[in-house]
Amino acid sequence: MAAADSPSAALRRRDLCSRGIRLAGKMRADVVDLLDIYVEQQGLDASASVAAVEGVPLAAVERWDEQTGTQRLLENLAAYRAFRALLAQMLEEQREQLGEADAGLGRALAAVLLQVSAFTYHLEELLRLESRGIPGEEGDGPPPPPRLSLFEQKLRGLGVLRELAQWAVRSARDLRQLAKPGSATGTAPGLAESP
Amino acid sequence: MFSRWNWVACGFYLVLNICSPDASGGLVQSCGHIIPESPVLALGSNFTALCILNETCLDFGNIYANQIIWKIKNRVVPKEQYREINRTVSSVTFNDTSSLATPLTCNILADGQIEQNIYGITVTVGLAPEKPKNLSCIVHQMSRFTYVMNCTWNPGRHTFLDTEFRLKYSWPEEVFPDCIPKGVNNSCTINDIQFFVNTEIWVEAANALGKAESDRLVVDPVDIVKPLSPQNVSVSSGILPTVLKLSWENRISHAVMLLKFNIRYRIIGETSWMEVPSEDTASPRTSFSVQGLRPYTGYAFSIRCMKEDGVGYWSDWTEEKTGITTEDKPSKGPPIWRIIDASHSPASWTVHLMWKALKPFEANGVILQYEVTVRDKSSLSSPLKKYNVTSTNHTLQLPKGTYEVTVVARNSVGASPPSVLLIPASNSEAPVKNLRTLPKHDKLWVGWTAPNSYVLKYVIEWCLVSSSSDCIIEWQIALGDVQGVDLKGIKPFKCYLITVYPLYADGQGSGQSVKAYLKQDRPSKGPTVQTKKVGKAEAVLTWNHLTVEEQNGFIRNYTILYKTIDGNETVVTVDPSKTEYTLSSLTSDTLYTVRMMASTDNGSRTGPDFTFTTQKFGKGEIEAIVVPVCLAFLLIVLLGVLFCFNKRDLIKKHIWPIVPDPSKSNIAQWSPQVPAKHNFNSKDQMYPEGSFTDVSVVEIEADDKKSFSEQDLKPFDLLKKEKSTSEGHSSGIGGSSCMSSPRQSVSDSDEGETTQNTSSTVQYSTVVLNGYRDQTPVQVFSRSESTQPLLDSEERSEDHAGGADSTAQRQQYFRQNGGQDENNTDRPCFERAKQITHANEGDFVGFVQLQVSGQSSQPLGLGMEKNTQEAALSNVLQTCTQGQTVRPETVEENPLSVDDMPKSYLPQTVRQGGYMPQ
Repeated sequence: MAAADSPSAALRRRDLCSRGIRLAGKMRADVVDLLDIYVEQQGLDASASVAAVEGVPLAAVERWDEQTGTQRLLENLAAYRAFRALLAQMLEEQREQLGEADAGLGRALAAVLLQVSAFTYHLEELLRLESRGIPGEEGDGPPPPPRLSLFEQKLRGLGVLRELAQWAVRSARDLRQLAKPGSATGTAPGLAESP
Repeated sequence: MFSRWNWVACGFYLVLNICSPDASGGLVQSCGHIIPESPVLALGSNFTALCILNETCLDFGNIYANQIIWKIKNRVVPKEQYREINRTVSSVTFNDTSSLATPLTCNILADGQIEQNIYGITVTVGLAPEKPKNLSCIVHQMSRFTYVMNCTWNPGRHTFLDTEFRLKYSWPEEVFPDCIPKGVNNSCTINDIQFFVNTEIWVEAANALGKAESDRLVVDPVDIVKPLSPQNVSVSSGILPTVLKLSWENRISHAVMLLKFNIRYRIIGETSWMEVPSEDTASPRTSFSVQGLRPYTGYAFSIRCMKEDGVGYWSDWTEEKTGITTEDKPSKGPPIWRIIDASHSPASWTVHLMWKALKPFEANGVILQYEVTVRDKSSLSSPLKKYNVTSTNHTLQLPKGTYEVTVVARNSVGASPPSVLLIPASNSEAPVKNLRTLPKHDKLWVGWTAPNSYVLKYVIEWCLVSSSSDCIIEWQIALGDVQGVDLKGIKPFKCYLITVYPLYADGQGSGQSVKAYLKQDRPSKGPTVQTKKVGKAEAVLTWNHLTVEEQNGFIRNYTILYKTIDGNETVVTVDPSKTEYTLSSLTSDTLYTVRMMASTDNGSRTGPDFTFTTQKFGKGEIEAIVVPVCLAFLLIVLLGVLFCFNKRDLIKKHIWPIVPDPSKSNIAQWSPQVPAKHNFNSKDQMYPEGSFTDVSVVEIEADDKKSFSEQDLKPFDLLKKEKSTSEGHSSGIGGSSCMSSPRQSVSDSDEGETTQNTSSTVQYSTVVLNGYRDQTPVQVFSRSESTQPLLDSEERSEDHAGGADSTAQRQQYFRQNGGQDENNTDRPCFERAKQITHANEGDFVGFVQLQVSGQSSQPLGLGMEKNTQEAALSNVLQTCTQGQTVRPETVEENPLSVDDMPKSYLPQTVRQGGYMPQ
């Protein structure tokens, strides 16, 4: 916490929060656009109901406003690490399925993957500023996905993107909470906001 | 001998050793090699190479290091740079690699003569890369979701080596693939850009001599974005005539960045842009209403955007979009002026009202019509006259007086404020003073000094002065507080007449005019000079003024240049107002060439040459010579005439020698009273040949002597005294001359002297004096056909008056009338008649013919009625024949006795040259 109290650390934290918020916003916008492309390319129904993706914490939580900053950062970090792995797997699967035939979808997935990675970096930096240890990825990562059918892969991909869009919204609010002056990562924010 | 064969064998061995396949696997087994092998050297550094000979070559070919020769591209390296390290190794050192070239070879001089190459290397010289500098990156938005980052840097000096540049970028935990420039070494473009993460960017340059990195640039790519400009810009007019609304679409999402904008606009047709204040457009938006615009004016708009916080780059300006504001009522009335033509009638005016169309920013729309109102201020009772006009002028016929004219411009929205012009009965107010002009580039400034009274405004009229067309007036209005205006549209080298009128609240001042040029040039042609009058020492030259189109400026003076063919040119400067000049002190009878030059402030132009020749004599000189000469001639002639007159007798004697007159023959001496003077010429005229045919006897009767004057009667008295008994009627043998008197016919029996004279002569002719039967007696001479010689003693100088022609005529006559007697007549009567006039010859002829035929007894006077002189002659003749009766009788049949006949002697007066009776 000492590091977080220094002016430079505060500026750094504020800068990270600011960029994280804008990155989350862009990520959500890109994911929404990507969802349209994905549904169309994979031949799915945009209104199809998809079960929760295994290994990805749900964005919607109860008592969100009671979470501490660190808790928020940790949940975000876990989620985005999971998204990074899932998106990498989706990108791999998509390349296997379509090859270079649909470079646009691949580029869009790669761009979102990069944004997820960047956001993950933001979260890690924020945790580092709080002198918190960054949890290792091995233990926190999602379990290796079972071998799925092609359709199941498509549905899972749809679920991943939808959940990522949800998380992008929540992450922006989480970081906005963290960026507020006087807000302590260890204390719960006073505002009762819900993602 | 041995040595020679030894060297040959050695050389042969070397060749074999070099050229034979190597058992170890190479085609060539060299006798040595160079270290280092193909080095890359830094330019300017020192370098040492070693040539190491193989031991096998040493043993067999007697080759040692001291025989090594180093060469650079066939050029032997100086031996000072060699060093023999041992018997198989030689080194060469270069202090500066810039002197190196490729290849560097190691050669051996076998037996001191044959040079063989042992080995060679390629040397590459260059520079290590410099640190790239000035790295900068910009993210270009390519489409709504596509961004590329282009980075540029300064690669530094040329290295002369293959140098690779790599643009590197990374996140703290993510390293991205390098961007390798293609074809260039100073820029590279990265396609996958992720925003909101600080990215570390740097450039790495590397070649064989080293590697260098630029400073690292850490930047969030979103902060270096140059976004695409807004699209689908539209302009729409609002309710207000001064507002236009712009709408557009942004091509970058809010998730990436928020935008601020710049809006610029300009009036269509103008080039200068106006900008909406940046603080008004500093927030994200997709529309904006631009206010403060002119009504009914076309505007062009353009927009650009950038990140709201100002970090990054402005987009390009959008393409221009245009819009027009709605109409508003005209903001002011049209400027109005008039031209008054009072030439038609003394009591009325033709008033040409004219006004200028409002400028677009004043009209605020399309002017549909002008409403003209005329009010007679001198008559309150006269009604207000209104006219609706669509043009910008209107002509009125008005009685002279003071009028107030109002013009209002109207468009679809409303009417303008009225423009008022007062037309006074006379321009009696004070005019402007000190009117002057001054050219200012392409404008002509007109300035004046204001009158003392308060002036509402000034009207400046100007027109292009032309010799071929009327002055078309242009005008403009200036406010009353100015004392000068710039006239636009003035052409250079043209003369303008500028007039300024001051307008007062209650009247108008008279106009003051000035002529001006915006720019002057030399005249386009010179004056054509000619002479009006040329004298002996002076010539009057005349010319016409140049037309105003030819002047090109104010003519300051004319210059006359004249000269003779071989003389110097004389220059005379003449006032420009003159059209005539007299050259004086010219040389007489000399050809002069004259030309004329017109000058403005900016140059001169000479007209064509004209030549003239001065006269040889001056005015009056000829008269002064001719008149005296003529006078002298006349004087001489007069003196000669006088002299001749005085000496006429002497002259006559020399010029006209005395020729014997047949009439003065012996017969003529019968009658000593022959008149002193005979005029045969007159006789011939009076009695031409053929006048008489049958006349043989003429009787002369003096019936009434009283009718004669005393002088006339003297001959008769004398005749009486001479006691003549015969009237001298000759009887056929010759005739006397005209001077013969009737006495001659009878003198044969009387006068002794006469008898003496006539005794030896023959009568030649008969003189007939009597008229026939109361008619005027005609003096007729009949020539005798006698062949008797003439008597010289009878010659009289007077008798030659008739000349030879008369004699010849008479001779002809005699031939025609041969055998017939001639009539005789009374000489005095005829002499007097001849003194009065010369009667018409024809008349006499006619008379004589009638007389001869006897068919008419008409008196002689009746044949001369038409001519007064003839009448006078007739009178004289009648007078002369009074008392005498001429009877045409044949001599043989009726010879007259002397007693019966009146005396017919002529008076024997002594006359000069006359005949003196003996």
